[in-house]
Amino acid sequence: MPLNKLKKFYFILPIMAFIVLWQLASVSNFVNKSLFPPPTQVFSAFIELLDSGELFLHIKTSIWRVIAGLLIGSFIGIAAGLLTGRIKIIDKSLSSLFHVFRSFPPVAIIPLVIAWFGIGETAKLFSIGFAAFFPVWINSHIGASAIPVYYLRAASTLTKSGYAKWFKVILPASLPFIVAGMRTGIAIAFIMVFVSELAGSSSGIGYLISVSHLAYRIDKMIVGLLILGFFGAITDYIFVRLVRRGFPWTEKM
Amino acid sequence: MDRENVNDLSVRDICVKYNGEAVLKNLDLTLKRGEFAAIVGQSGCGKTTLLNAIAGFIPYEGSIAKPPKIGIVFQNCAVFPWLNVKNNISFGLEDSHKALNHYLNMVDLKDKENNFPFELSGGQIQRVALARTLAANPEIILMDEPYGALDVYTRDKMQKWLLDIWQKERKTILFVTHSIEEAIYLADRVLVLKDKAIRKEFRINFRRPRSCDIKFDKSFIELKKRIAKLLN
Repeated sequence: MPLNKLKKFYFILPIMAFIVLWQLASVSNFVNKSLFPPPTQVFSAFIELLDSGELFLHIKTSIWRVIAGLLIGSFIGIAAGLLTGRIKIIDKSLSSLFHVFRSFPPVAIIPLVIAWFGIGETAKLFSIGFAAFFPVWINSHIGASAIPVYYLRAASTLTKSGYAKWFKVILPASLPFIVAGMRTGIAIAFIMVFVSELAGSSSGIGYLISVSHLAYRIDKMIVGLLILGFFGAITDYIFVRLVRRGFPWTEKM
Repeated sequence: MDRENVNDLSVRDICVKYNGEAVLKNLDLTLKRGEFAAIVGQSGCGKTTLLNAIAGFIPYEGSIAKPPKIGIVFQNCAVFPWLNVKNNISFGLEDSHKALNHYLNMVDLKDKENNFPFELSGGQIQRVALARTLAANPEIILMDEPYGALDVYTRDKMQKWLLDIWQKERKTILFVTHSIEEAIYLADRVLVLKDKAIRKEFRINFRRPRSCDIKFDKSFIELKKRIAKLLN
């Protein structure tokens, strides 16, 4: 294989080196084996969870929560961002309130959400949606308020339709910013799903880590952690690919 | 009804101020139906401001009598990057199919109808911008230095092509440019904007249809010199 093709796989090298070092450190008792189980043991735990079907169930539950919460938060965030970005009176009346809420660390609302909604699905979707709302809102707001005036002027000479103005000009013109906001939203949604499942749940990756902790199964905890990291990265990757395919012009604006 | 108020443009004694300072002052301008007029002036003399006032984008003092439908071709085209050629041209049209095909063929972009602006050349984007403006069927088209950013070769081609379309459509056009040559070549009348108002106008008597060769004509060059002297 030519050298420049091999370069594509360079990122694997540090990962391999890390795994090898980890294995060596663990089996040589350089570190406490029960606190740092070797990669082989973590892999066995992964296979065990996979075989029992338990892992698939947890992944399915968490991913569903992330997607549903993200969609709810993003939908409200985009609508609010476009309105505050384009309509001065709405901006003046709502933005300061949103900025106050935005400064809360989103995980801090979880005890309150449990008091309000219990530990069911509503509580989790609310927590994730609430946390995802703010980055989507602020980015949509910036995108909508920074639309070059000539697009709006051009549209105003071509149509008087309010629908066309909002959905064919303001929304697409803000899309690159909305996408940036949703990518931050994805990262936050993964944090929130983990924390809200940790706080009270009967399934999900957060729950898996939580019960593994109680059972002192550190290998399983590490599996949960790696799964969460993997899906966080893959979700962002898939989202970016979908945006590129569906809206190829966003990178050219 | 007074013809001037039906389809022509009549700007009377308008003043436009930015931050308390007058950019345009006591400016008068009249355009006859089907006329092609060009405004020349140095950068920053208020050419774009005048078009913005006529289009109703900015406040002004004085009166502007204009038809209800005005089309604008902007300096940077303002073609929507998120819509393909087809959807850009039919933007805002209710019954778009017939008009769309007519203008796609007119601007010779039928084979690019599904392309996005980022896939087009500067000249093609300009053609989309004009087709979009024409498709909305305005009575007057304001053009704000549309070819300023194009290379000389493309610019020549676009000018020729604009004249061909104007011959067919006979829309009233107010064309703003800083190129004296472009103004003389395209227009029936060249208006010189200087010191906040139209200072002089030149009637251009070259026969239509015009070819690019007239740019080398002795009288063309002479006229160009006269206007340049006035501007400087």
